[in-house]
Amino acid sequence: MKIVVIGGTGLIGTKVVAKLRQLGHQVIAASPNTGINTITGEGLADALSNTDIVVDLANSPVWEDKAVMEFFQTAGHNLLTAEINAGVKHHLALSIVGVDLMQDSGYMRAKLVQEDLIRRSGVPYTIVRSTQFMEFIKGIADQATEGNIVHISNVEFQPIAAENVATFVTEAAVKPAVNGIVEIAGPDRMPLPEFVSRYLKATNDQRKIVPNEHGNYYGAQIGNTSLVPAGQAKLGSIGFETWMRSQLQHVS
Amino acid sequence: MKAVKHPESELPALSKALLEQERRMLLDLGNDITSVRDKNDLLVLFSKRIKSLFYFTHTIVTLIDYKDEYYHGFLLDKENSPIRYHPLYDQLVTSRFNLNEPFIQGVLHADGPVTFQLEEVMDKPGSPVFLRANFEKGVKEVLMSRLMKEGRPMGFIHIYSDRPGSFTDEFRSVIKGIAPQLSGAVSNIIKNEEILSKEREKSFLLDFSKDLAAVRTKEELWIAIQASLNKIDTLRGYFIRTLNDDGTTVSDLGEQVKARYVIKDGLQNRVLESPIPLLFNIDREIQRGVGVSYLQSWRRMGFNSFVGIRLRNGETNLGLMWLGIEEVNIHLLQGIASQISIAVANIIANEQVIRKQEEQAFLLEFSNDIARIRTKPDLQAAISRVLDGALHTKLAMIRVIDDDGIHVSPFMFDRTLFANSEVNFDKMSTTRITVEEPYTSRVLASEDGLLFNVEEELRSGNTYAKLWKTTGLKNMYGLPLRAGDKNIGTIWLLADRLSKLILKGICSQISIAIANIRANEKLLDYKKKLEVENAYLKEQIGTIYNFSEIIGSGKAMQEVYRLMSLVAESNTSVLVWGETGTGKELIARAIHNASPRKDKLMVKVNCAALPANLIESELFGHERGAFTGAIDRRIGKFELADHSTLFLDEIGDMPLEAQVKLLRVIQERELERVGGKHTIKVDVRLITATNRDLEAEVGAGRFREDLYYRLNVFPIRLPSLRERPEDIEPLASFFVAKYSRNTGKKIKRIAPKVIQQLRSYTWPGNVRELEHFIERSVLLTTGDTLDEVFIPRGAIAEKQLASQPGSRSLEEVERSYIIDVLRRCAGKISGAGGAAEILQIPGNTLHSKMKKLGITKPDYFASK
Repeated sequence: MKIVVIGGTGLIGTKVVAKLRQLGHQVIAASPNTGINTITGEGLADALSNTDIVVDLANSPVWEDKAVMEFFQTAGHNLLTAEINAGVKHHLALSIVGVDLMQDSGYMRAKLVQEDLIRRSGVPYTIVRSTQFMEFIKGIADQATEGNIVHISNVEFQPIAAENVATFVTEAAVKPAVNGIVEIAGPDRMPLPEFVSRYLKATNDQRKIVPNEHGNYYGAQIGNTSLVPAGQAKLGSIGFETWMRSQLQHVS
Repeated sequence: MKAVKHPESELPALSKALLEQERRMLLDLGNDITSVRDKNDLLVLFSKRIKSLFYFTHTIVTLIDYKDEYYHGFLLDKENSPIRYHPLYDQLVTSRFNLNEPFIQGVLHADGPVTFQLEEVMDKPGSPVFLRANFEKGVKEVLMSRLMKEGRPMGFIHIYSDRPGSFTDEFRSVIKGIAPQLSGAVSNIIKNEEILSKEREKSFLLDFSKDLAAVRTKEELWIAIQASLNKIDTLRGYFIRTLNDDGTTVSDLGEQVKARYVIKDGLQNRVLESPIPLLFNIDREIQRGVGVSYLQSWRRMGFNSFVGIRLRNGETNLGLMWLGIEEVNIHLLQGIASQISIAVANIIANEQVIRKQEEQAFLLEFSNDIARIRTKPDLQAAISRVLDGALHTKLAMIRVIDDDGIHVSPFMFDRTLFANSEVNFDKMSTTRITVEEPYTSRVLASEDGLLFNVEEELRSGNTYAKLWKTTGLKNMYGLPLRAGDKNIGTIWLLADRLSKLILKGICSQISIAIANIRANEKLLDYKKKLEVENAYLKEQIGTIYNFSEIIGSGKAMQEVYRLMSLVAESNTSVLVWGETGTGKELIARAIHNASPRKDKLMVKVNCAALPANLIESELFGHERGAFTGAIDRRIGKFELADHSTLFLDEIGDMPLEAQVKLLRVIQERELERVGGKHTIKVDVRLITATNRDLEAEVGAGRFREDLYYRLNVFPIRLPSLRERPEDIEPLASFFVAKYSRNTGKKIKRIAPKVIQQLRSYTWPGNVRELEHFIERSVLLTTGDTLDEVFIPRGAIAEKQLASQPGSRSLEEVERSYIIDVLRRCAGKISGAGGAAEILQIPGNTLHSKMKKLGITKPDYFASK
């Protein structure tokens, strides 16, 4: 089958493209770098011609509330319109567990708008909602650091390795559309400060963690369990410790 | 991998001469590369230089596309290619080859050039088909090397040879050495190509923009677009459709006959909603069930797919463009679309400006016409000229609100408009409606009027709509006419389409015209009224009476004054009756002057003086042409006396038929002009006067009983002069003063003898007789004392007495006559002015007669 992976050169995209190719599919890794731009529409019609499946893993290049909203709206609208024209049979998008619970965040609002566009488009779809990636933990620590102290709220966390995300996305993409949401998560659930603490320890980071009860995540107010799946979720095979070991090997 | 024969580490050191050669060649190649302009030149020069050192047949460069991990031909040396006549050649040139197969992966992962024996690799699974094609044309070996860009493989150089063993270590070493330079040159070529293609796009768009800049009309635009778009080779056909005024359809630009295509047809709406150009596959859309006719016709024209792009200016869709093209060049298409959009927007704006200018010029002309209008026919002519002539609009009706603020009367309508209808339009149009009538009230309440779709109104059962329908026009515009912010009426226009500006302009102009006409009409009315009033005043000034006062302080008059003061303030009808010459008009005026209506002139009509056939028109007025001789409109006395008093003198002499009409006016307080259609409300205080005994007249059938009761609401009886002899002296003095002033005489006194004589007379003509009597006496007097009067004797007195009815005995008659005469003579029996003198008997005889008949002082001094 011909599959177009939007954001196909990113963290998850690269892996998904590789996995799909391994399965023998004709895959186009779409990104502005490869001449396919969902915002300007450049290359989109050509790339989508005779395409069966579109996997949308694109992320906004900017993070300001209004710009993010505009990105997901414009890109979503352009992509889905072109898909309808091209007769695409399955649209898979990667979204976030708890996206509807964290509407204090401009980014989450934009992602929910993207989901709604998909639901209303008429194109058969699967929305894969993933928990935060293990790969984000360093970033979480960095953005919450003041001086030598990491201020992190004591919220439940269940990160998933990017590798597992790619596997789940690949699997869901080649299956028929479920016209609904599939949630995926990592195998371990702990408070966020615990994950960060273990990570800093493993990387010999001297920063000190001060957990708080502010329910703050990247500046947005969230609930204690917003970041973890509420019901049945597919769990990744890579545990946090395993992931850390592979990372450390990679670093060294 | 087996095919890899010479790993880089095994490459031998080159001989000095060869090194020198290589150095020179690289230098030359470097110079060549800088002068390369056409991409295939690079390969020709490269081949020439290398061939000066080594043998090979031909070379090509392929590029990797990372988007789907394929590679494809980029630089080809077709001239030297042995496979250029191979049946697959043309296909190979455009083919793309998978990067994920062992052959090319081997090249990708090797650090330096790799040599392959075609025979060995060409049939391996996944091996690209070009290997076998070359082999079939005698090529034996290929040397492959990757070309790197920014640390990542960007493509490959393929060098083919038909001689085994051509690719020596030296050869490979040279290729390895020049590969980076080659990579740089290829990247430059790619960049150049990109720049060139962008350049071409830009110059195309620039030319396009220049062509469109001069465009002023849609026709010119279409010609300019055709000239430009025809330059695009890949474009097989195109349609440009602009949005129609209805907002729901589009029509082809450049077509004479405008077919309207619905926007929501499953295709065009998708284009208009998409910010990016959309590629449509005709077969897929047909499969989907999109049944629009043009889809089928495009397929018959041989299109497989086509691109739709919207034309948009700011946030406004102007139309869309359908292009018969297989690929989507976003920059070019969006460039074209935006240029066309600007041109279309400009044309629309231009057309609007022109239309607005025309409308304004038109309104100005209309306004000039309106300014000259003084009468209704003028307005009708101007309206029909403007509406019918210039706007294809029919004036159905203008209605104006009456002075009462409730009724709405037809002011003007187009009779011809409804000539073919069966409706009795005259009847319908003359029916007065009120401001509460649903359509009228809605229109009056609206800001800028309302639009009624004739078809819709017809369906909803509006009876007017049947009339509207007969004109074939689509819409009825109901608009309020306003002068300032006051509603003055409604105007109903039938048209297919009218602009807001025009409507507003027309309405305000017509409002002004109507206001002017009405003001003019009112002005004429006032003028006429003033003229009539003026004539009256003149007439009144000429009358002999001085109305300012009534003379008489006797008991009888005191009673009259009391009654007058009781009734004056009210609106009650007053009937003044008394003998001729008793001053009935004087009393009527005094009542009027004491009433709240005194600021307006009392209007007097002498019913006895009017010919019977003119009374009606005199009282109620008439319209122009109501009867022969009625050449102008005339305002009746009732209308003239509106808010004032109407004094109908000699009411007893009014013909019976006129009495009927009068009765109606008194009852309804409204009248119709003779020949008029409308009733006019009047507020008139009625004072009537007669010297006849109306009760007797009623009994005799000469006066309507009902009218009598209406008039006799508040009767005031004026006493005759002989009933108030005490007033004779002041009256006489008053008249003496008046006439001596008039005649320039200086009469200061009236001799007592004269007074006595005056008192003894019966005065059948009452005050008027006294006045004339004094006038004559004044003329005959020469001194300063009026000492002689010439009282008529005999005839009148006898006549007066003869008129006294009765069937009394002689003694009774004698007794009452003596009392009567004594009374007149204030009890003086003998001497000048005494009763004896009048009776022409000696005083003693009178004394004895009085004794005999038992006449004592109380008899002739008692009040009646």
